[in-house]
Amino acid sequence: MTETETAADTTRTGDVVPTALEAAVTTTDHLRIGRAWIASGVLFLVASLVAGLLVSLERMDLSGMALFGSVDTLFRLWSAYRVGIVLLAVVPIIVGLATAVVPLQVGASSVVFPRAASLGFWVWAMGAAITVTGFLIDGGLGTPGGTSRTDAVALTLLGLLMVIGGICCSTVCILTTIVAGRTGGMTLSRIPLFAWTVLVAGSIWLVTLPVLAANAVLIYVDLSGRSAVAFGVEDTIWEQLSWAFSHPQVYAFALPLVGIAGDIVPVAARRRHGSHSTLLVLTALIGLLSFGAYAQSAFDIGTPIREQAIFVVEAFLIVPVVLAVLAGLVDTWRRGSGGRPPAPLVLSMLAVLLLLDGAIVGAIRAVSPLDLLETSATGAQMTFTIGGVLVAVMAGTLWWGDRILGRVAPQGLGFVSGLSAAAGVTLIGVADTISGLLGMNDFTAGDAIGAGSPGSVVDIFNVVAVVGAALLLVGVMGWGLTGLRRLRGAEAPADPWGGHTLEWATGPVEVTSDSPLLDVIAEVGS
Amino acid sequence: MSSSTFAPAVPNRPRTLVIGSALASSAVLMFFGGLFALYFSRRADAMAWGMEWFPEGAIRLPPGGMNMATMALSAITMMWAVYSVINDDRIHSYLAMLLTAVMGVAMLNQTAFYFNDIALPIDHSEATTFLFVIVGAHMAMVLVGVLWLGLLLLRALGGQDTSRNRDLVSAAALYWYAAVAVYMVIWLGIYIAK
Repeated sequence: MTETETAADTTRTGDVVPTALEAAVTTTDHLRIGRAWIASGVLFLVASLVAGLLVSLERMDLSGMALFGSVDTLFRLWSAYRVGIVLLAVVPIIVGLATAVVPLQVGASSVVFPRAASLGFWVWAMGAAITVTGFLIDGGLGTPGGTSRTDAVALTLLGLLMVIGGICCSTVCILTTIVAGRTGGMTLSRIPLFAWTVLVAGSIWLVTLPVLAANAVLIYVDLSGRSAVAFGVEDTIWEQLSWAFSHPQVYAFALPLVGIAGDIVPVAARRRHGSHSTLLVLTALIGLLSFGAYAQSAFDIGTPIREQAIFVVEAFLIVPVVLAVLAGLVDTWRRGSGGRPPAPLVLSMLAVLLLLDGAIVGAIRAVSPLDLLETSATGAQMTFTIGGVLVAVMAGTLWWGDRILGRVAPQGLGFVSGLSAAAGVTLIGVADTISGLLGMNDFTAGDAIGAGSPGSVVDIFNVVAVVGAALLLVGVMGWGLTGLRRLRGAEAPADPWGGHTLEWATGPVEVTSDSPLLDVIAEVGS
Repeated sequence: MSSSTFAPAVPNRPRTLVIGSALASSAVLMFFGGLFALYFSRRADAMAWGMEWFPEGAIRLPPGGMNMATMALSAITMMWAVYSVINDDRIHSYLAMLLTAVMGVAMLNQTAFYFNDIALPIDHSEATTFLFVIVGAHMAMVLVGVLWLGLLLLRALGGQDTSRNRDLVSAAALYWYAAVAVYMVIWLGIYIAK
């Protein structure tokens, strides 16, 4: 008897097994896209923190420029650190967390426009690689001495534009998911706080990052292929772009931090927020107060920033708002079951405290007689705020990681890593604030010799900042290790925390008109 | 909990394309908003110092006016396209989308011709850098709109743009109106105010 075997038909859909690269590039799974954002963000975060540590080491003795040899190289690395930690690390990690978690929270089957979300990631990834390359080949965003290669600066700007484009593209997908992809019965006032803060923050990103892109396009066009006449003059480039990395724009990047804490606290406390809607309003207020950074120096020539009403009002108003948010979260925890707080809860509350520190430093910066705008207090404000987000996303990945990866992570390692990062951020922030009060320059003016006075008391704080930078780097590497160990961890239970929001729902949740969704899901979670 | 005295929850009917287009258009508008804010700020500064902004006679109103008229007309034909798709009037929707796309191409052609004609170098001054960046970015915006309309035409010819599936046309229309609005500011701020 003769048997005839037919070859498998690999042309039919479902029979073709894509390679890992094909699967990564063509995926429309929001969890995979989210994981890609987070993993890439962590890689760029480590690189940015290494740059930050090197800058801190150099600042210990600026008179000799032992590490870099020139002020311009130091400035290039310093600006790379700021751009890297914000646009190549922390914001992408938030976008990743949001891409993975938000669709589940609002009851959508996936992120809306998944191909666009995937495109956004790849555009960002290529842009990030180009940006880093630009910085490495003597480009960057200009230097005080004008020693950069013009074509490399143009390359950096091109990368930056792609980074902004990728972030905006993915943000549109996430916001559309929240606005139009919510399940029936889930009104905007009922969505979980993380999704809400992503909605508010994303809206601010969409109206501010394009302005940064406009700045970058003007610079790019001005310096490409000819002598710059205005915007591309090298020692003015950073000045035109720096608003995106300082007060109040950093609050827009930090806002999801409050959402992460706001979602973790009630579940950990086994108690709903006293007033969910109050927290929605407060977080929206933070978003409102973070808007308008681009209306600083470039748009109001001649008026010092600290004398502009928008700058001063935003600086002071944000402090009580963050305090009120913190009070609301503490109140929820206090009225709750009072059991042993899980690691993500502790870390997320520390993150809110760091945000408060950042807001306070931001308010102090706005006090005109102190004259802190050009000092290292500016860096301290960014460090506290962006560092706070970093600690929050550590908490967020510990909290939602089981759902995103389906594997259990060692919580102890994650907790210690988070504590190390929080301690590092605090040390850098406090040291830079005090150094700023003592007159240490923030490098923005390019006067490196004036930035540290060898033998003076500032040097002590520069040593403290180095210790902080090292702790922060160790914490982030520990966090990365936690993620790697999660990949080999045991299979995660469906609802490890007993959560009350939809991302933890283990089965269909019935929503009817006389049973508001929050009540139903609260019962499911209890 | 009260008893069920209300109608059952209304099923969600998301207009995701329109919302996504609105968000993306907002971002694009803010991009131009940033450029315009800088443009007017620097222009006011230059004027205050008594400096020349554009060279005398370099910016002429007729080409800008013609482009504005073309863009305004294209906004009307775009509305016509949306109206026709809503009413399942396929012939008119083809015609309206085609006319809109043709007017977009005409606007691109007029602008390219005009900028060749004035032969103003981009690095002549800060003002000319602004001029080329703003007008060039707007041309890119219109080009994306024309390509989008081309895609819509192909879909319409395939019978896919109907009143039940009109969101792609509405989304494109939203984007096109944003392009017209941007040109209106270019016309007022650059061609008229100079």
